[in-house]
Amino acid sequence: MLNKPISRRALLGGAAAGAAGLLFSGCTTERADGKIEVEIVSYKQEAVSIFEHLMEEFNAAHDDIYLNIQSPADAVTVMKTRFVRENYPDVIGIGGDGDYASFTDSQILADVSDCPTLDDVQDAYIDILDSVTYVPMEGIYGVPYVANAAGMLYNKDMFEEHGWMIPETWDELIALFKQIQSETPDIYPIYLGYLDTWTILSPWNSITANMVPSNLNYKVNLGEAKFADYYREPAERMLELLDYAEPGPFAYAYNDACTAFARGQSAMYPCGSFAVPQILSVNPDMNIGMFAMPSAERAEDRVVVSGVDLQWCVAETCEHKDAVYEVIKFLSQAENIQTYIDDQRAIPCLKGDFELDPLFDDIQSFLDEGRVLDYLDHSYPSSMGCDAQVQTMLLNKDIDAFLEKWDTDWQRYNRNVIRKVQDSKGQQ
Amino acid sequence: MAKDKVKERVNWPITILLIIGLITIIFPLYMAVVIAFKDPSEMTNDIAGILSLPSSWSLDNFIEAIQVTDFFNSFLNSLIITVVAVVASILIHSLAAYAIGRNMDHSKVYKASYYFIIAGMYVPFAILMMPLVKQTAVMHLDNMVGVMILYIVFYMPMNMMLYTGYLRNIPIALEEAARMDGASTWSTYWKVIFPLMKPMHATVAVITGLAVWNDVMTPLVIMGGQGVNTLPLAQMNFQTAFSTNYNLAFASYLLAMLPMIIFYIVAQKQIIGGVTNGAVK
Amino acid sequence: MASTAAIGSNRRKTFMAILIPVLVLFCAFNTIPLITGFLYSFTDSKGYGAFNIVGIQNYIDMFSDTRILNSYLFTFKVAIVATLGTNVISLMLAIGLTSKIKFKSALRGVYFVPRILGGLVVGYVFSYFFTYIVPAITGTESILANPDWAWVAIVIVVVWQACAQTTIIYITGLSSVPEDVYEAGSLDGATGWDKFRYITFPLIMPSVTTNMVLVMKDMLMVFDQIVSMTSGGPAQSTESISYLIYNNGLSGGQFGYQCANAVIFFILIAVVSILQTKFLNSKEEQL
Repeated sequence: MLNKPISRRALLGGAAAGAAGLLFSGCTTERADGKIEVEIVSYKQEAVSIFEHLMEEFNAAHDDIYLNIQSPADAVTVMKTRFVRENYPDVIGIGGDGDYASFTDSQILADVSDCPTLDDVQDAYIDILDSVTYVPMEGIYGVPYVANAAGMLYNKDMFEEHGWMIPETWDELIALFKQIQSETPDIYPIYLGYLDTWTILSPWNSITANMVPSNLNYKVNLGEAKFADYYREPAERMLELLDYAEPGPFAYAYNDACTAFARGQSAMYPCGSFAVPQILSVNPDMNIGMFAMPSAERAEDRVVVSGVDLQWCVAETCEHKDAVYEVIKFLSQAENIQTYIDDQRAIPCLKGDFELDPLFDDIQSFLDEGRVLDYLDHSYPSSMGCDAQVQTMLLNKDIDAFLEKWDTDWQRYNRNVIRKVQDSKGQQ
Repeated sequence: MAKDKVKERVNWPITILLIIGLITIIFPLYMAVVIAFKDPSEMTNDIAGILSLPSSWSLDNFIEAIQVTDFFNSFLNSLIITVVAVVASILIHSLAAYAIGRNMDHSKVYKASYYFIIAGMYVPFAILMMPLVKQTAVMHLDNMVGVMILYIVFYMPMNMMLYTGYLRNIPIALEEAARMDGASTWSTYWKVIFPLMKPMHATVAVITGLAVWNDVMTPLVIMGGQGVNTLPLAQMNFQTAFSTNYNLAFASYLLAMLPMIIFYIVAQKQIIGGVTNGAVK
Repeated sequence: MASTAAIGSNRRKTFMAILIPVLVLFCAFNTIPLITGFLYSFTDSKGYGAFNIVGIQNYIDMFSDTRILNSYLFTFKVAIVATLGTNVISLMLAIGLTSKIKFKSALRGVYFVPRILGGLVVGYVFSYFFTYIVPAITGTESILANPDWAWVAIVIVVVWQACAQTTIIYITGLSSVPEDVYEAGSLDGATGWDKFRYITFPLIMPSVTTNMVLVMKDMLMVFDQIVSMTSGGPAQSTESISYLIYNNGLSGGQFGYQCANAVIFFILIAVVSILQTKFLNSKEEQL
């Protein structure tokens, strides 16, 4: 079997022979006014106004580089179509997620180990980024910018009013759920929007990250472990959560859950910081807090799930990395990051004395001490439908079938990755 | 045909049944309208939150939707694409259907062409998408023109089917009469057949027009991220990864619907016109 | 006046002059990308970037993939039920809307509204309907949350939306029925059901064929309503083939594999529709 990647043009060439091959120049070139243009396509459409502002500021201060930041709707699809056209932007701003893993795997991104800004990035986030790629990579393929975090969102005012305490162990959490059920029958302890399968992964990630070895996926790929030996307890806890949520959570979508939590129908909502803007759109005055999912064996071992929400990746084809690094340096200036995190309620990936949103008060110490782990699903193959598999388990309550299917499917959907992992291990 | 005899009485039972049936249309529409007028903070998770009237009938959502979508530019782009696609579809597809439909019964080439084109209807767009992205870029068609051309191709199978089906009801004798008078096939088509297919033109215009007007995938992959938007592309701005403003989205959906309703009402007259046309035989 | 032979040859030339450019256009933007996609089905491509050639591995994998099998079962179940439902309802509507009724234009206009709304909007509205309104009336749980019944919700929505277009085609078909045929029929004493069964139905049989094929095709390709109502859930019970091809192929990085799926799907529905057309055409001739 042929394993060597071939260029896609070779394949397309045959089919589109009629259409003469007009090639696109990879990176943007010099502009008419002699400036070098740096084009960034960012997937953070919600941050469009901030970047427009930063763009103006940068361009006013530089006469050799012109910065152009775009934040189109459905940016990831736009990026993919541009890759197909081989019309690569200089920089893409994406999360440290499955798309990043797959872009890296497709050899689209350049090694940015020589980017000076990386010296200022917290090590924890470089490690997190490293854990996302299918195969441990040599080099660094993105400059982390900001992160988000997941755990349990809670209604601060409601907690204060009833004197509820933040739980630090699973037993305390369940006790709190029971207390809420008995004290305030009209408020659900939690609200779940499990119609949207991806929301199921939020509690799943934060429960499971606290209970399994952080390199479990890698060990499974090496053939040294099975998920069945580790995922039973997290699955049981996911089932347990259902007892404390609204009836029939599979009928409600993410938006419904955000609305319910915003309107005080539930005291907590197991989700991430990324849900906060949606919640505030319903109830702008709400005081939202977040605590770490208390599912570790010992309270002091708790970790917060946090992933790179936005990072700067440079295209392999880019011909003027220096200009790009200059732009990244500008974007990473403390005051610019502060502007961004204030507006987007994000967590900076860079070292420095930043003022975080009150949302993060309860997890600040975790962030400072680097007690953070990446979202597990970032290294799940998205085609495997892991979220739907957890949903199926929650619906038919059959943990054995769930575990068996997971291990079987993992082998199947990760065939290429497993081969690569074992090859690279063999070479060492 | 004697007109006086046909003055039948109005069929009231059917009229009433049809009016009752309207509930199935009006009710969902009512939901869309009240959601479009509400503020996100008015949404609650119960039947009242969905059905209650908005606290005020303010046009804020509509005004904001117009701003967010850059409505007039996006609207103009959508309009240009739709009009071109519809006009081209009517001209090209009806002509192609005429050539194929009149010959497929006695010529293998035409019959094969017919099935070849019809089969294109069953190609899932997802498989064409990435190859088309590449191809249109190479041909410098990664723009509105490319999108229009793609629509003409995408809707060819369905329209071909509609037109050939309709042609069967048009007697070949009509053409032969014209031919005997010395008219060429080309002019016979435009002078005799094309006008006779008016009801089908209206149907094709409505179906193709709406499909093009509402389509988001084609413009997204072919011309997405270039700053030129169609309405459905611009409407994607209401949905970011973790938040969707359904109220604004619904307001803009309703706005986008209005021109299509007007278009349909105009086209409908042609379809009804077909009732009398059909009798002129 | 020219000789008949010359006219015949001119006519043939004109037809060819029409056919060839149309075929070229069609091949360029449908057939060629399809072939390209077909070639991709032998690779592990993500749709972009570097890839490997994997031979027929994708096709072998497909046949042991229960998720794909389930999506075929779901899609055909929905398609068959929805196609029959849509055609029966639309034909009744079309007959109603072409008879001598009051407010004809207005009624036709309103009944067409579902088609004007895009699939996504309709999906959103009906999500609210099934999540909040139906359970409030019946006291049961939302069927969108029930893996055994969620497909019914999908059927209801797609039928609701598809009826508009199908009705229009039936109305067009009915309007091509010459009025004197009815008059002749009435003179023979045909009324009500008999009139429909023996006069109207045979005459609009071509519309029936067209509609059955078109609706079946639309239903087999159901996508938007799935995205906006269930995202394939609950428990993967409403994953349509198109949804799987799009979702796993383009978002999930399985482009090569899903191209293989698309090729099989394409062949399958092309066969289904040819059989369907043949069957309906034979009925047309009988009548």
